[in-house]
Amino acid sequence: MGKQKKTQLLREASTTFLGISAVLMIAGTVILYFYTKSLLGEEVEEDLYSTESRIENSLQNNNAPFSLFPAMEAKKASELLQSSLKDTVIYDPYQEEEELFRELITYKNINGSFYKITVRNLVVESNEILVGIVITYFFIFSTAFLFLFYFNNKRNKKLWAPFFKNLEEIKNFSITSSIPPHFEESHILEFTELNKQISLLMNKVKDDYENLKQFTEDVSHEIQTPLAIMQAKIENLINEQGITEMEYEQFSSIQKDIQRLKQFNKRLTLLTKIDNNQFILTENVNINKAVQKNIEDFKELSPTKIEFYSDNELMAIMDPYLSEILCTNLVSNAIKHTKSDEPIKIAIQGNVLTVSNYGQNALKYPAKLFQRFYREAKNVQSSGLGLAIVKKICDLYGFSTDYDFQENRHIFKITFINARL
Amino acid sequence: MKFLIAEDETALQQSIVSYLERDANICEVASDYKEASYKVSLYDYDVVILDINLNTGSGLDVLKLLKKEKKNAAVIIISANNSLDDKLEGLDLGADDYITKPFHLAELNSRINAVLRRGKFGGKETITFNEIKIDTRSHTAYVNEKMITLTRKEYDLLLFFVTNQGRVLSKEIIAEHLWGDHSDLVDNFDFIYVHINNLRKKLTEKGSKYIKTVYGTGYKFIAE
Repeated sequence: MGKQKKTQLLREASTTFLGISAVLMIAGTVILYFYTKSLLGEEVEEDLYSTESRIENSLQNNNAPFSLFPAMEAKKASELLQSSLKDTVIYDPYQEEEELFRELITYKNINGSFYKITVRNLVVESNEILVGIVITYFFIFSTAFLFLFYFNNKRNKKLWAPFFKNLEEIKNFSITSSIPPHFEESHILEFTELNKQISLLMNKVKDDYENLKQFTEDVSHEIQTPLAIMQAKIENLINEQGITEMEYEQFSSIQKDIQRLKQFNKRLTLLTKIDNNQFILTENVNINKAVQKNIEDFKELSPTKIEFYSDNELMAIMDPYLSEILCTNLVSNAIKHTKSDEPIKIAIQGNVLTVSNYGQNALKYPAKLFQRFYREAKNVQSSGLGLAIVKKICDLYGFSTDYDFQENRHIFKITFINARL
Repeated sequence: MKFLIAEDETALQQSIVSYLERDANICEVASDYKEASYKVSLYDYDVVILDINLNTGSGLDVLKLLKKEKKNAAVIIISANNSLDDKLEGLDLGADDYITKPFHLAELNSRINAVLRRGKFGGKETITFNEIKIDTRSHTAYVNEKMITLTRKEYDLLLFFVTNQGRVLSKEIIAEHLWGDHSDLVDNFDFIYVHINNLRKKLTEKGSKYIKTVYGTGYKFIAE
């Protein structure tokens, strides 16, 4: 179904029209040809018989047999033979060419004598009439057909115009846009109904989306104040005199959990912001520089070695902040999941950025890798949002993301489609 | 120093007050927009800590009022909203810094100090702690007038310690100050020990033994 070749509505309609008209026209012409031909044939025969009876009549009145070659011949015959009606080719000395004639030969017993009466009529004449009729018919039909086709097409276009306009409107529909879709009014009942239903659907989808967005925003916003209170209280508590080392450890551990919640919240907010299309700034971002900055930052954070290799400068058109997030998330994901003595490898080749880290086994469900909250390694602390954010950013700009496992390395590949090398 | 803490969440407000009062600062509080605008127009403060989402109005309006009355107070905005627009608007209106909830009080404190060091508030760009002197303009530190070579992180760490002297700083607080969003990568905090130990070594060599370990994993910068 999906692979089936799609045809445009108007083209389909005109193809059908053309097809039916062509069949009708050919069939009509053929029928007309044969009908006219048989009519003409009958007419010629009638003419032959009538001439024959006139000659017979004249012979009965004792007129001498006479000939007018090749139109008619009457002569005495020795016996009575079967009459025949056939086509024959005769050389006409006046025209100096062979001509096709329809020939009627009859044998008659008139006043006791046998006569052979031959009557002929030129067939060419009737054939020309036939061709003339068919051509005229064909011409009239074609003209009518062309006019019909033209007006039909024009009418169809006009009739379906609101449909096509509204289709464009639906195509341009963006869930994040605040402009409501504008549908062309039509006097066609079905179109009006369709518009109404689609408007309803769109509004529903939009409302749901807005609610969800608002909910996520509200939640992450509302969480921040209680977190701030908790954090501040703990900070004052650890500055109190007389807490034990064990109590301190507990407070310190709570601080760590608050930090996790904070990070989680931040990432969730970032995802919502990307969803909300709040990153409208696009610049020519140097990915090499973003990677290099990352490597510098991570040097002070992790003992893991990072090897960077680049063939060329990679410039991508995107929000500079998102480019940073993209690199950071890829690198920090690699650092989190590698063994500390195995280096992270980053490479820029053409418009492709690859980040790879050591891994014992390939992922079991690589398809889920970029989903929110999917964690394959349970022992590694992560928000489960890092790669989801990577995917979201790539989707925003139409970059492609790939995962591969080769020679004990997890390889993440980003292809910057719009990149300038 | 005289502070006004305009924050409608009383628990947070009180926590900020107790943290700041340890340094013998005077703290007044405002719990809603009305109280905040009333106090800023009536009294003079060195520092105003301003929540954007006050119960009955916007902290940004309080900020406008402050600027209108030409009060020379340092303003630090706190907000639960991590949006860039709010941040830019606040800074455009003349706020001196912006901090997003949730934050560490030590972080707030070091931001306050950084703002006050700016020439605008008559502060000095050097901080002195006994024989240690930090020049915040050139990012250099001296012990007994002799420069000590510090990495960027060690310098940040020293400044953070000195501005939060006498307070317990847990490894979480330090990690977040030094690495911000990346700090969750520092799983076992080995790296913090490396940086702190290096700094401690460099200071101890010159005879400055102020970095104390407390409760096993926390730190305190204090002169005995």
